[in-house]
Amino acid sequence: MRRPRRFLRRLVSWGTKRRDEERLQAEIEEHLALQTAENIRAGLSPADARREAALKFGAVEAMKETYREQRGLPFVEIVIRDTRLALRRLRMAPAFTATTMLTLALGIGATTSIFTLAHAVLLKSLPVARPDELYRLGKEARCCYLGGYSQDKEFSLVSYDLYKYLRDNTRGFSELAAFPAADFLFGVRRAGNAEAAQTYGGEFVSGNYFAMFGIAAYAGRTLTAADDKAGARPVAMMSYRLWQERYGSDLSVIGSAFNIDERPFTVVGITPPGFFGDTLRDTPPDFFLPLNTEPYVEAEADLNKYGQHWLELIGRIAPGARPGAIETEMRVELKQWLGSHWGEMSASDRAKFPQQTLFLVPGGAGISSMRERYARWLQILMAVTGFVLLIVCANVANLMLVRGMERRRQTSLSMALGARASRIIRQDLTESVVLSLLGGAAGLGVAFAGTRLLLHFAFPSTNGMASVPIDASPSLPVLLFAFGVSAIAGAGFGIAPAWIATRTDPIEALRGASRITARAGSLPRRALVVFQIALSLVLLSASGLLTATLHTLETQDFGFAQERRIVAKINPRLAGYRPLELPQLYRRIHDSILSVPGVASVALCLYSPPGGGWGAGVWVDGRQAPGPRDDNSSSWDRVTSGYFDVIGTPIVKGRGISEEDTAASRRVAVISEAFARKFFRNEDPIGRHFGQSPGASREYEVVGVVKDARYLTANLDQPSGPFFFLPEAQADYTKSLGALFLHDIVILTRPGANLSVAEVRQAMASVDPGMPIISIQTLREKVGLIFTQQRIIARLTSFFGVLSLILASIGLYGVVAYNAARRVNEVGVRIALGATRADLVRLVLRGAFGLIFAGLSIGLPLTFLAGRLLGNQLYGTAPYNPVVTMAAIVALGLSGLAASIVPAIRACLISPLDALRSE
Amino acid sequence: MKEKTDVLQGTLALMVLKTLDVLGDLHGYGIARRIEQISGGILSVNQGTLYPVLLKLEQEGSIASEWGVSENNRRARFYRLTRIGRKQLQAEARGWEQTAAIIGRFFAVKAEDLK
Repeated sequence: MRRPRRFLRRLVSWGTKRRDEERLQAEIEEHLALQTAENIRAGLSPADARREAALKFGAVEAMKETYREQRGLPFVEIVIRDTRLALRRLRMAPAFTATTMLTLALGIGATTSIFTLAHAVLLKSLPVARPDELYRLGKEARCCYLGGYSQDKEFSLVSYDLYKYLRDNTRGFSELAAFPAADFLFGVRRAGNAEAAQTYGGEFVSGNYFAMFGIAAYAGRTLTAADDKAGARPVAMMSYRLWQERYGSDLSVIGSAFNIDERPFTVVGITPPGFFGDTLRDTPPDFFLPLNTEPYVEAEADLNKYGQHWLELIGRIAPGARPGAIETEMRVELKQWLGSHWGEMSASDRAKFPQQTLFLVPGGAGISSMRERYARWLQILMAVTGFVLLIVCANVANLMLVRGMERRRQTSLSMALGARASRIIRQDLTESVVLSLLGGAAGLGVAFAGTRLLLHFAFPSTNGMASVPIDASPSLPVLLFAFGVSAIAGAGFGIAPAWIATRTDPIEALRGASRITARAGSLPRRALVVFQIALSLVLLSASGLLTATLHTLETQDFGFAQERRIVAKINPRLAGYRPLELPQLYRRIHDSILSVPGVASVALCLYSPPGGGWGAGVWVDGRQAPGPRDDNSSSWDRVTSGYFDVIGTPIVKGRGISEEDTAASRRVAVISEAFARKFFRNEDPIGRHFGQSPGASREYEVVGVVKDARYLTANLDQPSGPFFFLPEAQADYTKSLGALFLHDIVILTRPGANLSVAEVRQAMASVDPGMPIISIQTLREKVGLIFTQQRIIARLTSFFGVLSLILASIGLYGVVAYNAARRVNEVGVRIALGATRADLVRLVLRGAFGLIFAGLSIGLPLTFLAGRLLGNQLYGTAPYNPVVTMAAIVALGLSGLAASIVPAIRACLISPLDALRSE
Repeated sequence: MKEKTDVLQGTLALMVLKTLDVLGDLHGYGIARRIEQISGGILSVNQGTLYPVLLKLEQEGSIASEWGVSENNRRARFYRLTRIGRKQLQAEARGWEQTAAIIGRFFAVKAEDLK
């Protein structure tokens, strides 16, 4: 009863503030007047009477403060008042404000932008309905095609037949959808248009894919189960991005025909904005086609191969169903399905049958291949930015401590006048929170720009294709994160200096700040600087290690020449070529490009390094056939004649692929040194035979050995694996195989010639205007791209390392300069007593280097720890690199010297008279 | 720290109410004088602390105030007990008497009494 009434009164009196103040003042005056009169009557002189009255009344300001707190809504009022005061104070100290804000903005910005990426890649759910109901098959993301009837550890990819069996028999899923693990690129052009085909990412999906995700079409309709049947009219969905960017949101796109790999499709709908399919990947699909159109589009179809496992599964569980029960059910179904294919299983499949199992895991985040690829890097970057944030916090804490020291006189004065400690702490706290929030806001700007820059460098977008679907603008959790970090930082930094300030005896502080010789409050500041130096050392040596590793990687012997070489990527499949037309096409491409002025020689290949290889098993003639557990794998490539000269790989023995290898001549192969070591050991491989299947070990005759070259970019820390090369002229074009379609045209230009991209494109267009060129790059650029990730990490870490060095130096400078300034008197006395300038410089430097050494001795063990944690990211470079550590120590020492020499010199230039007078 | 003020404020409030109950309308100085006379030390140094208490009581509706003229012909704020205040005084006085009686009994107890 009394409380609400009181609150109402307070609310009213908030508006009548001024009148109330006047009333209180009048009452105080009256009170004092009456008391004075009383005292005079008691015999005191008027002056004494007034003084006694005032003493008896007590501290007027403190009382007024209590009074004010009772009136109105003090909390709101005080916050507003303190905020205004804080802003005014900050405006009056622009250097301090700018430094602190900039420092905070860098720290919070760096952390937030890495957090944005980590959140998007590692934590975020797909933009679909109720992602927590989704479960997917397989603990690990695998790619892309697994043959046979057994899979190691777990069955994570399935064939179409197995998918249908699981879908039709598992009751716990309301929908179970399938889609390929591999990325697909399609050559697409609108039917009836003369435009050249453009390359876009695409995906085959089961008919219930959109129903399973709970996704409705933005325009038109989604694909349905009826579309995903053999013989159904071929239809497709287009991404919102492509529809908007390429077709200007033209509604006539819906219902019109598009040629996808030269097969007509009708676009029936547009996916909603923001939907990027089931997997976060660099090139999200722009076209979604029903799974059953796969044989219609692909020359080498996988749909109806029972033993070809290429599909990922994601399902939405039915209400009330338990994932554990579904998993058990599916394991039984897997065994049943495998059992029904017992006749087709190999001996090793049958041997592994008892261990075959599968796992269901939460699938709300989609297929996580990108997550696995980047998780480690993002964790390293998170750690690095965390370190930077710590250094930033230490710096800001230091700045705040100095500010608190400088304000000591003012604080003491306020307290002497009756201000309560809690109010002073609250004011200081408000100021630091306001400052941190301003810094945080600036940090968000830095974060937005930083994320965009990172995305731009980490995932360079190919023209026209969709780029990685990560939004640079911070999401709500990221905003909360930044806000939380700045608020905590603000409160943390504000409270300590404020508390220290209110602890000091007012008399002591008022007597003169310059008199203080004790190092009151300097211990926390020194500790902070030592901490900063230690962290800087860790960051510097980590960045040094990563940079050294990058250098080793980039300057390694790749086994091919990079100068004067250009690689154009094509895909004849996208232009609708059939295998039998290919030899003719390759001949024409070769001749057309060779005729461009400045071109010295041309060769085509399935893969040019660094780019990959086709996998195969190897059976060597005259040797025992490998058992099921023996590793007889190798990679291979198909190349046209003269390839090794064009790519610049030296021939070690025998000869390369040449014009004499024709469809009519004996089947030959050129092998790499690693292949020779693995399969022929110490014997001379020339003239020996091997093949790709158990019955055909005399398929190829080895005619040459070439130097190992980096075709595969995985496992960069290990030597190149075995490789063999087959002549394009001897390919069997009567079969329909993916390995027949050569992707890469390698061009060697004449010395000094300047080949323009337009000329290459024109030469290609003269062969077939409908053939899209996917990319044209120099071999050097291609090599550079392998290390994009490593380069970004190394650069970012170096950037953060240097940033931390600068921040630590500023911190050190602050401490040294402040201490030197506080010791002015001492310096004066020392000079008067005969100390030389050199002694004084040494005095100041000794203090500074004491801090540096303390920091280094704490940091050094930590650098070893960091090296161990970086471990496998260093690709074989030793985690303890004495040169790098020494360089980091020298860098820290030099910047420490630079930071302390200025205050040291300034200290010794003081005239002793001035110094003593300053008291 | 906070607690101590609250106790002081609580006791002061009760004293204010009782003073107004006994002496009728009074200005701030008059109340302070009266409390000082009766309670001795409590207001001898910090008479000013009375005013926040007066404000709180007025906000709660236990007392009301209006401008009047004091004995030395100055404008002064006079406080008067309201009906709510009278009820509150009765309730709190009972509470105090009970508390005082209980505490008194506790202090009267000697060790042997508890055997």
